[in-house]
Amino acid sequence: MSRIQIEGLTRRFGSGNHAVNAVDGISLDVADGEFLVLLGPSGCGKSTLLRMIAGLTPPTGGRILLDGRDITAAEPRERNLAMVFQSYALYPHLTVAKNIGFPLRTRRRKDVDAKVTEVAKALGLEQLLDRRPRALSGGQRQRVALGRALVRDPGAFLLDEPLSNLDATLRTATRAELTDLHRRLRSTFVYVTHDQIEAMTMATRIAVLNGGRLEQVGTPEEVYDAPASTFVAGFIGSPAIGLLPAEVRGADGELRAVGDGVDMPLGPGHDASGREVLVGARPEHLRIGTGAVGPEWRGTVRLVENLGGEEVAHVTVGGGRVALRGPRPLGLAVGDAVRLTCDPDRIHLFCATSGRRLVRTPEPRRAAVAV
Amino acid sequence: MTVMAPETFVEVAAPERVAAPAAVAVPLLRRIARAAPPYLFLAPGLALLGVWVYRPLVTSIQLSFLSWNLLPTSPAKFVGFSNYERLFALPDFTAALGRTAVLILGLLPFTLVVPTVVGLLARRVRGRAATVYQAMVFAPLLVAPVAGAAVWQWMLDPRGGLVNRVLGTTTNWLQEPGPAQVAIIVITGWHVLGFATLVVAAGLAGIDSEYSASASLDGATRWQTTRWITLPLLSPTLSFLLLMTLLLAAQWSFPLVNTITHGGPSGATTNVYYLLWDYAFGSFDAGLGAAAGMIFFVLFGMVALVLVRLTERLTFHDS
Repeated sequence: MSRIQIEGLTRRFGSGNHAVNAVDGISLDVADGEFLVLLGPSGCGKSTLLRMIAGLTPPTGGRILLDGRDITAAEPRERNLAMVFQSYALYPHLTVAKNIGFPLRTRRRKDVDAKVTEVAKALGLEQLLDRRPRALSGGQRQRVALGRALVRDPGAFLLDEPLSNLDATLRTATRAELTDLHRRLRSTFVYVTHDQIEAMTMATRIAVLNGGRLEQVGTPEEVYDAPASTFVAGFIGSPAIGLLPAEVRGADGELRAVGDGVDMPLGPGHDASGREVLVGARPEHLRIGTGAVGPEWRGTVRLVENLGGEEVAHVTVGGGRVALRGPRPLGLAVGDAVRLTCDPDRIHLFCATSGRRLVRTPEPRRAAVAV
Repeated sequence: MTVMAPETFVEVAAPERVAAPAAVAVPLLRRIARAAPPYLFLAPGLALLGVWVYRPLVTSIQLSFLSWNLLPTSPAKFVGFSNYERLFALPDFTAALGRTAVLILGLLPFTLVVPTVVGLLARRVRGRAATVYQAMVFAPLLVAPVAGAAVWQWMLDPRGGLVNRVLGTTTNWLQEPGPAQVAIIVITGWHVLGFATLVVAAGLAGIDSEYSASASLDGATRWQTTRWITLPLLSPTLSFLLLMTLLLAAQWSFPLVNTITHGGPSGATTNVYYLLWDYAFGSFDAGLGAAAGMIFFVLFGMVALVLVRLTERLTFHDS
């Protein structure tokens, strides 16, 4: 049972002009029993953040609390955290049984054999207990690493891209097993990955990192349905959301976002400031338009990809590109001129300069009319 | 009206398997040209190996069956196994083997124990400090053995030598059998210590730091990590150093023995390497020297073989 609180955690590498903030003032509150995924591209600081929680990398600033106890300066072995490394870091000279039992042996526990047998049974490793890591497949190594973490009931589990060395089929199976494990143990999991599918499928909450900073923290649904920035919108979802530049214009109390090949009504409003925005919609929310009302993208089909059950059409609109995903066949061919549309509430609007999501402030005028 | 064929199911045929067409004959010259490059790359190395290792080895085998005083004008006479018979009849031979064993044992602290301790302690030294420290540790190996020997001889002088003054003793280091052997061991050890330390440092650097990181999260103290993780993973390096010491100890000490003690006093520092040199170039008995060389070659070869086998079974390589 562990709650992990992170307050203004910072890690700077290098000094002077060459200093880089790998992790830059991150604050997070990971509730007990949560499965928090730290998601971001390589170099975003997610692994550094995890290693700071583990105590392997000392932070340059900020605090880490475990169940309210400040562990910022505590040695890794005093933290009661278990970690699964990307490389698994199985001790190559020890058998599977010795590897799994290692955390108990360091604590001079008496019940090493019994616990090891129990964990090995739960992970289906009984037949492999006498083997050395070298003689194991990637998936088996991953299980041993997990077993070594499980064996001593730690306060929380830290996992650093544990599935990245597995092949696609095994990864899918292990994802489900990890989710199941989390549900059974009700322990706190902090899981680092760059794989959006792992994040979406396993997390109870996702923290999206970019350049050492938090872009958004939310449930998988929140992060996917209401990305807080263009980075989050583009990083999560495949094919990526196509964002196009437009300008907000107002006429007759109605707002529109108008750009090259793009024209979409945004509802009533008075923000006729000519604000530069980026607009887009998820590929699966786009459809080939027929009517004259509603959002509109006009462009030319550049490429149609067959995914088996679905097709993805890449459409050039103005200077940019949007993707449309739908059941096969879409009925589009390369070179076709096409009009795309979607439900108005599926439109994502971002500030062109800051990249942050734009949401409507409550609209009192329309409420007054309705009354 | 056409009559429909009765409806039925037919299997979808798998793509047809086609027999491989006859291979196009490649001219012999071109086949040779294609296969040649790896051998051409190996050729210079193999040629040098032949000239500098295998030809002398064969010559030694030949010499060990001849009686020859190294003079180009005097003929070499075939004597069969008499060189070998003489060798085992002389008391020097087994005595030299015993002294070599003492030398090897005496050198192990310098090639294994101290380098491991220093290597483990110095892991935290990084950056420029590490470079300076490694250069300092390595420096003795760069001192020419003969030059080092001259300085040590001076320091070991029984009257007013630095060593006796520091220790407050009056030992005649180089003229008494026991102390002379100790002096040779310590000077040789001083000479190779830096090399061994660097080898251990390289071995430690080759161990993935994730293991100790993982061990620390698994609750291991620093000492537990060293004992259970680091040292076992360092075992290939340590067995390499052990092998080096076993095989090369006599060779390392040779320049020192040759310049400081000349194998004395009364043969107390004559190890196998010095002995065979003395046979050949001191007594001008090329046949006896070669025969001694052959025996040691076989002996050390067997020791090396046993140790390599043992190493393969006992050490763990990080895969």
